[in-house]
Amino acid sequence: MEEEIKKLKEECEKLKQTNEVKSDLISISAHQLRTSLSALKWILKMFLDEDLGKLTSEQNSFIRKAYNSNERMNALVNDLLTLSHAEDTSMSYKFEKIDLLYLIEQTVFDFSGETNKKNIELMFLKPDSPILPINCDKEMIIVVIQNLIENAIKYSNEGGKVFISLKQEENNLIVSVRDTGIGIKEEDKENIFKKFYRAPNAIEKEIIGSGLGLFATKNIVERHKGKIWFDSTEGKGATFFVSLPIN
Amino acid sequence: MKRVLIIEDDSFLQSLEVNKLKKEGYDVLTASTGKEGLQKINEPGIDIILLDLVLPNFDGFEILEKIRATEALKKTPVIVFSNLSEEKDIKRSEELGATDFMVKSNFTLDELVEHLNKILGL
Repeated sequence: MEEEIKKLKEECEKLKQTNEVKSDLISISAHQLRTSLSALKWILKMFLDEDLGKLTSEQNSFIRKAYNSNERMNALVNDLLTLSHAEDTSMSYKFEKIDLLYLIEQTVFDFSGETNKKNIELMFLKPDSPILPINCDKEMIIVVIQNLIENAIKYSNEGGKVFISLKQEENNLIVSVRDTGIGIKEEDKENIFKKFYRAPNAIEKEIIGSGLGLFATKNIVERHKGKIWFDSTEGKGATFFVSLPIN
Repeated sequence: MKRVLIIEDDSFLQSLEVNKLKKEGYDVLTASTGKEGLQKINEPGIDIILLDLVLPNFDGFEILEKIRATEALKKTPVIVFSNLSEEKDIKRSEELGATDFMVKSNFTLDELVEHLNKILGL
């Protein structure tokens, strides 16, 4: 018996070490990739802004495509990092009591620059009655809220509206993020949370994404014993809901 | 004219940052290693510091620590401008007194300038 426990402990230690090597490798690779991505982003932007001389419309179109392609790679690196963090079951989440209302307020505030770019109205419809604190990993729940708001803005047309709401239903807090964007086609609905899946109507519009954001979001929500789902009509927008247990 | 100190070891990224900030009317000082960074923070009249984290000799955290321990630089804004983004790096920067943490690849140089101007009230 003692021998078996010793063996198990050794195996556990080995797995921990392997996992640390994996995390370091991901972190270092991401850092190196981002250095090249930053250089490309800044140079291509200089061309697009015609800081380096006037462009023909053909040149402009090619450079814009290169810029967007670089942005897709950047989004992929960001999402891979989030996912590696979210999926790492050996890493325990740091659960603490937090005020979700305050957290959403702060996150919404951070998006003011993004919404200005597309002239989008972002509103947080606060609950009428006080909300109980919940036990969660603050940083990971910020990622969930950020991902949903980011998507809502990304898939909205110029001048669109994004509404965020928070309410308590029995023993759960429900966050919803509603947009007036392109929506999700019926045939894409079952795939929307799958790893690397991107809906054709988003690809057609050349909206940048990696197909990992919602997968990672679902992963985080489920590690909080919560649920995520959505309602959508193509062309009319989508509403994503997250429910998190109070206890 | 506002004086910015850029501590960045990647020579290409540094040249793009210098080029942009000079064009926007900044007086630019540079350092390419941690050691050089520790010397340059003693230059007079620095209004804001752009600090990379992964640097040869001394890393950005050590420089940040030194900056906050220097009387003349206690309140000087320090923007950590790095391609690291792990929570532990952001937290450590905050604890050591960074004004802000920006991931390079997520910002254009125009957005960086906008941010510096805002912090300096320009």
